[in-house]
Amino acid sequence: MAKKKKRPTTPAVIRENIQLYLLMLPVFILIVIFCYGPMFGLVIAFQDYMPGSPFFGESVDWMGLRHFQRFIQGKYFGRLITNTLVLSGLNLLFGFTAPILFALLIDQVKRIRFKKLVQTASYMPYFISTVVVAGMVLSFIDKGGMVTRFLTLFGLPNQNWREQASAFPAIYTVTNVWKGFGFGSILYISAITSIDQSQYESARIDGANRGQQCWYITLPGIKNIIAINLIMAIGGILGTNSDLILLLYTPATYDVADVIGTYTYRLGIQGGQYSYTAAAGLFMSAIGFTLTYIANKVSNRMTGYGLW
Amino acid sequence: MKTVRTKNRIREGSPAVTAILYLLTILVCLVTVYPMYYVLILSISAPEYAAGMDVYLFPKGFSLDAYKMLVGDMEMWRAYANTILYTVATTALMLVTCVLVAYPLTYKRLMGRKYVNMFLLIPMYFSGGMIPAFLLITKLGLYGSPLSQIIPACFSIWNIILMKAFFSSIPEGLREAAKIDGGGVVQILTRVYLPVSKPILAVIAVYTIVGRWNSWFDALVYLPRTDWQPLQLFLRRILVENTRQVTEILNPEMAAEMVRKQLSGAQLKYAMIIFTSLPVLFTYPFFQKYFVKGVMLGSLKE
Repeated sequence: MAKKKKRPTTPAVIRENIQLYLLMLPVFILIVIFCYGPMFGLVIAFQDYMPGSPFFGESVDWMGLRHFQRFIQGKYFGRLITNTLVLSGLNLLFGFTAPILFALLIDQVKRIRFKKLVQTASYMPYFISTVVVAGMVLSFIDKGGMVTRFLTLFGLPNQNWREQASAFPAIYTVTNVWKGFGFGSILYISAITSIDQSQYESARIDGANRGQQCWYITLPGIKNIIAINLIMAIGGILGTNSDLILLLYTPATYDVADVIGTYTYRLGIQGGQYSYTAAAGLFMSAIGFTLTYIANKVSNRMTGYGLW
Repeated sequence: MKTVRTKNRIREGSPAVTAILYLLTILVCLVTVYPMYYVLILSISAPEYAAGMDVYLFPKGFSLDAYKMLVGDMEMWRAYANTILYTVATTALMLVTCVLVAYPLTYKRLMGRKYVNMFLLIPMYFSGGMIPAFLLITKLGLYGSPLSQIIPACFSIWNIILMKAFFSSIPEGLREAAKIDGGGVVQILTRVYLPVSKPILAVIAVYTIVGRWNSWFDALVYLPRTDWQPLQLFLRRILVENTRQVTEILNPEMAAEMVRKQLSGAQLKYAMIIFTSLPVLFTYPFFQKYFVKGVMLGSLKE
């Protein structure tokens, strides 16, 4: 192998390097503490950690994989996996497709002013905080709330839907889609605008109708982005939006709403079972990472794009 | 073989379909905007109508009583001030930390650049998770401290990478020229790089501001006492936790006032939603272009 000719390391270069590293140093310290620190903190998943005790040393009770075993064999494991898959699956089905459909719809709007207005409106929910969104939803689905009243028109009871376990997946999915579809469509809309317009003209001359133009020109034009997003979404299927769940769920809906993030919060942060929940979290993120890894491999092979 | 089309007329969509598509777009728009509009009109309706919650198109009557009560709530102002403090501090530090790491990485002759990149990439795919992070914050003595809302949030590897991508697009010739003129590492940064980096700084600032303004989970975990809690946690106590009623959170005089004015809890909640979302709702149409830009930059990196 031919060696690249290296420029000599002069004192000036070394001085420059020292200065550059000094600039980076403060942030490196932050990264070491706040990103790498918790990674090493994961050793507590293999011990019986008590607050205030050290992570290493003679006083540590090493547990091996017992916490993992307890988690996997525990009665909540099945529930957590099922809930995660159901909620993420619904989100994949609707949350993933809604931005694409919206982008296709808005592409048909040819009045620029109107188009801009609709787009701006569609981003709005993304800017409202999750807490406020959850607050609004909870008030709408309460007894006598706006949505509950609307549903009574279809013969459904006037009740607080927050306490109805069967309604939770729908409430969660609709809220997620409402909050994210506009923002999610940005990438698709810009990809559509970069499609060569002459393709549409020639298609129209050949007599292609709107549906055909969409199917044969627009969709193929954005298929790479769709593929990447889809594969990444599949990879992240275990990472549910536990923020929103934590705000929306109640003990009455734990059966269908509890996911790893909320479970960890309740047992770990509130219940103080640090080692056990750290093990549970580690187990789930290991599966999640494996999925992302596989998804990325597939993406690289199929589209030539990937995260790494 | 099919018959050859005699008329090669350009096919335009039928007006009926166009109308349907426009109607559909308007419908989507309504579904997006209406919930917020409903909250708004209910919050400014006269209390006697608002209590029945049957205000759908326009406000019935007009009353700002709910807002008048809100502005007297010192706890809300405290939470507002906390959020502003966290947002301003985090955003300022975020810009500094991004620049400090992204700039040196543009130097081809930076020794060990490969290892620095690796050091930055690993945390993007692995993290310790909620519990170890919580224990770390406790060990550092940040639990319950306002610094827990600033220091862990004041840098982002993702933003560093965006920034680095932007810096790399600045021609190296510029830097070499400045070097020949005797500019040092820091001078080149402040005189050559920063002046042309306003677009990316704006993108990162806007993302950080909105993210921080709306964040609540880290505050829930790290801030047990209410005095340092941000606005979103204050809102959570009132809007989401149905264990406490609005009247319990308000002080007794205000609660009495509320009864006297016949204000319903729902109306007060709605006024609170509008009042706390106003800063974001008024400004987002102006900085949405930065968000769009951010999405584009992010997608290029994928």
